[in-house]
Amino acid sequence: MKEHDVPEEYEVFEVFVQKTQADFHTHVGSIVAPSPDVALMNARENFLRRESGVNLWVVPRQCVTATPYDTDVDWFAREMDRKYREAGGYPENGRLWKMYKERVLHLDEIVEDLHGEKDKRKNESASS
Amino acid sequence: MSIADKEIRFMERIKAGYKIEATDWMPDEYRKLLLKLIHMHGISEIMGALPEKEWVPKAPTLKRKLAIMAKVQDEMGHGQLLLRVAEDLAAPFGRTREDLVTDVIHGRVKFHNVFHMEAPTWADAGIIGWLVDGAAIINQAALLHTSYGPYARVLKRICAEESFHMQHGESIILTLAGGTDDQRQMLQDALNRWWESLLFFFGPVEVTASAQRMIDYGIRTKTNEELRQQFFTKYVPRIRSLGLEVPDPKLSYDEEAKRWIWTEPDWEKFGRVVKENQGPKSQQRVDLRRFAHEEQQWVREAMLRSRKKTVSMIV
Ligand SMILES: [Fe+2]
Ligand SMILES: [Fe+2]
Repeated sequence: MKEHDVPEEYEVFEVFVQKTQADFHTHVGSIVAPSPDVALMNARENFLRRESGVNLWVVPRQCVTATPYDTDVDWFAREMDRKYREAGGYPENGRLWKMYKERVLHLDEIVEDLHGEKDKRKNESASS
Repeated sequence: MSIADKEIRFMERIKAGYKIEATDWMPDEYRKLLLKLIHMHGISEIMGALPEKEWVPKAPTLKRKLAIMAKVQDEMGHGQLLLRVAEDLAAPFGRTREDLVTDVIHGRVKFHNVFHMEAPTWADAGIIGWLVDGAAIINQAALLHTSYGPYARVLKRICAEESFHMQHGESIILTLAGGTDDQRQMLQDALNRWWESLLFFFGPVEVTASAQRMIDYGIRTKTNEELRQQFFTKYVPRIRSLGLEVPDPKLSYDEEAKRWIWTEPDWEKFGRVVKENQGPKSQQRVDLRRFAHEEQQWVREAMLRSRKKTVSMIV
């Protein structure tokens, strides 16, 4: 937009909040504002009155390219069961490990052991 | 603020547990160490998909084929996520994605030793899924608390997907372990083939100068040996419970010292594998990467050109 070309109406900005630096920015809604810097202030007043965050993005809605809701239903189609892609898709592992007097290994157990967070699982497993 | 003052402030922020972001000022040394680590990590994900990809057409059942295909897709995806993080770090050095991607073709970036090795049987696919991924997961889980924000966030997503890889690997080996004598033997042979590579994967026992700098900067928080010990603790009892033998007669747990005693791999041999691409499959896989990159060049160019065309039509 050229400088003398003053907008007649406020622009719509989509708002993204980053809760902690361990998180990605998450879309929370939109606001209107006359400029990006005012949009940042509006976004803070609208979305961070109670919740906290470490970073905010405002993106002019016109910059967003989105999939349509009502046409092209095939876009998100799932031709078949995708359980094989999920950790929960292998329930027989637990039963099989039992035959060897062992148990399934979970990611959170590794994370807890490495980072010294409370290890709840250990006590549970002692019995199995 | 002078560079020295900036460095002091930077270290204070790291000590206080703040995460560093791509747009923050950072010492060149920090940027270089991170870039080297993440570049190698990203390229290793992509090269790591190749040994498993060999098993997609040969998987024993449709479900196994779908699952291993899904895993190969995930690993390629991990490579994409990590390269994005590396690209932002490389930009101030004038290096682009194209450079980062083609470095492996020209031998300018290393990838993990385990991805230079052969996977001749379905049991190898199982051992890769179970133990190579297991080792990689321990490595990546240890990095979750890294001081660099963009890396930490991507690792969180990667680890979430790795929890499927863990179950996938366990499922293959549990099936083979409960199979015929031949299948159990195949599993034992594969374990024998991979054991030394797995130990090398975690790196030397001594804390090298650059590893120490990474610890100082909070890029890493654990030493190689701490992670290798964690690997033993998690996997050795499970390997043994299946009736498999770990091919290291010295391997034992010292109850008093609370650590595993183990035989060191041939550091020099594997060093050559990684540094000079001298592994049994190194050349073939690098060639495949080159082939894929060059053969698809025209597609990348065509898409760029068609974008220019649409943009000029809109304007
Ligand atoms: Fe991965
Ligand atoms: Fe994986």
